Amino acid sequence: MAYVATRGGERAIEQAERLYRARMGTIDAARVAEIEAALPALVDRVMGEASLYARDLAALALAQTGGDIYEALLLLRAWRTTQPRLQVAEPIAPDGTFTHRRISAAFKDIPGGQILGPTLDYAHRLLATEVLDGMPHVPPPVTPAEAPCHATHPSLAAWQQAQGLLQPPDPVAVDRNEIPDLTREPLLFPAKRAHSLQSLARADTGGLLSLGYSAMRGYGNAHPTVNELRLSEAELRVAHPNGTVFSAGRVPVSQAEVVTTRGKDGLRLGFCATLGWNEIKVIAGATLDLNAPGAAKGSPVEQEFVLYHTEPVEASGFCIHFKLPHYVTFQSALDNLRAARANAAEAWGAPGPAPVPQEEPAE
Amino acid sequence: MTLSDLARPWRPFSYGFLDASAKREIRRKLVKAIAVPGCQIPYASREVPIARGWGTGGLQVTCTLVTPGDTVKVIDQGADDSVNAASIRRFLARVSGAATTLDTTEATLIQSRHRVPEERLHAGQTLILQVPNPEPLRPVMPDMSIARQMHADADYGRLWLVLYEQMVRTGRVMLGAAYPSLVNGRHVMTPSPIPRWDVPKLHMADHLTILSAGREKRIFAVPPHTRVEPLVFDDVPYRVEEHGSLTCHKSGLRGYFMNELPQPDGTALHEVSDSHLGEKAIRRAEGEDVRIAETWYRNGELAP
Repeated sequence: MAYVATRGGERAIEQAERLYRARMGTIDAARVAEIEAALPALVDRVMGEASLYARDLAALALAQTGGDIYEALLLLRAWRTTQPRLQVAEPIAPDGTFTHRRISAAFKDIPGGQILGPTLDYAHRLLATEVLDGMPHVPPPVTPAEAPCHATHPSLAAWQQAQGLLQPPDPVAVDRNEIPDLTREPLLFPAKRAHSLQSLARADTGGLLSLGYSAMRGYGNAHPTVNELRLSEAELRVAHPNGTVFSAGRVPVSQAEVVTTRGKDGLRLGFCATLGWNEIKVIAGATLDLNAPGAAKGSPVEQEFVLYHTEPVEASGFCIHFKLPHYVTFQSALDNLRAARANAAEAWGAPGPAPVPQEEPAE
Repeated sequence: MTLSDLARPWRPFSYGFLDASAKREIRRKLVKAIAVPGCQIPYASREVPIARGWGTGGLQVTCTLVTPGDTVKVIDQGADDSVNAASIRRFLARVSGAATTLDTTEATLIQSRHRVPEERLHAGQTLILQVPNPEPLRPVMPDMSIARQMHADADYGRLWLVLYEQMVRTGRVMLGAAYPSLVNGRHVMTPSPIPRWDVPKLHMADHLTILSAGREKRIFAVPPHTRVEPLVFDDVPYRVEEHGSLTCHKSGLRGYFMNELPQPDGTALHEVSDSHLGEKAIRRAEGEDVRIAETWYRNGELAP
């Protein structure tokens, strides 16, 4: 029964998982709460890429995976997919959101003013090593402004439209409940506008940065200027079954609008928004959105190339799948290689030159 | 009567993990795929609790088709005991309550990564192949939108050119697994990376084969009694791997697809890739009453 005795698969995978989890120890509610409180940027990033706004679940996923972002995303996406889609909330306009930070690089000052809000942009990046020596870092209190800032700020694009610099968008009339949903239908190309923005919203931050940076360095055809970067909280307005519209709460959102002056009809915009505050992602995403129209097939800024290759769950899953055994396909290719060598030996009486390797499709 | 009498008791997830809307979409796409054999049908492809690239396409189809009365077999590279196959089998049993088996002849649903079992499948059995890359044109056209147009036009000239160039360079077609094959005389499909040994098993078969790529979001199918013809030139025959004369060092079986096991002394041993067939042969040799069904290959040759 030697053959049967070698079947250790089920026990092996169980023990392998235990080994991994042993490194993280007990996961309790306090740990999850600490992650949620201490790592808001990471929690926001994970929520955006998971396309699931739930701070506690994002923190739990990070705790459960020991901080492996792609594993955490997979947990959240797989949980999300089992949840019913109850309804589509009311549309949100940028100038209607409760704005914490809103800046523009296109003008020195803009209607409503430049609102710096929370940022590390001008911090000196000095590692606070004294913390390790037992001196906790207590953030100095924020001094309130003399007059409170407005809760909402106008959109700069509205001013540009009024000036005739920017063509107003040409909205497609679509019923709110009929908005194409990427999680319920496949992404096909040329992508629907809704699909393309949804893909960018849940794309991998690192992936968007990498391709967006390539566009910024010159692999794209349009140089971005940040027209407006906005971190805000949006009201989630939904309808009660009796018809009353009410706010179910606020979700933090990031939005970036980048603009290029290269165009025949004035300015042209690229846009990206995501759940949570993640500035790098929306600037890179908006840059890619700006560069997509007219990009050559296969270029790093072309829509299909960008959207397929920045899907974090698909990309990471395929990358790690190469750890799976591939010995059947390898055996099949080896058989060809040996036969071709034998052919060559027969023809030339010697082992002959190695056959030219063929490009194999990904397996 | 109260609302709670009418409603089902709350459960953390639906039967078979996927919710009803996801299953309905997959069933519709399956019908389409069966109606147009070999044609890749896009589907939403939900996230499931295993990683993309690890059988999520096959898993979604199995989760959609499975019922408590089914018997499920899961193999990876021909082996039931491969860790990922074990993991998927455990997941399916957990979410469906279906019976599991290692025996090809007992299974109603067989989810497989890259092998077709050696024992003949019969009518009523469904083979679900996990597909990493559903697009046979990918090596000649990486852009999916253009490849889709090429399928619509039955424009397979570039694939033929690849075969021709390989003939010229090495004297033979060098395509290994995933050999492109014409289905029902119309669509070229990749039979997923099953070895060339397994492709003829899909031709005019009694069983239904469903191929599903989760990451790439495409489903296609080979219905029973449908032609599956590997692309070959009239004067260059299709060649399966030369495994017909190899003998399994554990079971003594001969004439099936083998795994090659390198040995420290520079030689290699072989073991039969269909792990449960090997196990059955060993048990039969030890005197147990084990039935091995008719196999597609006999004495290393494809049986008519």
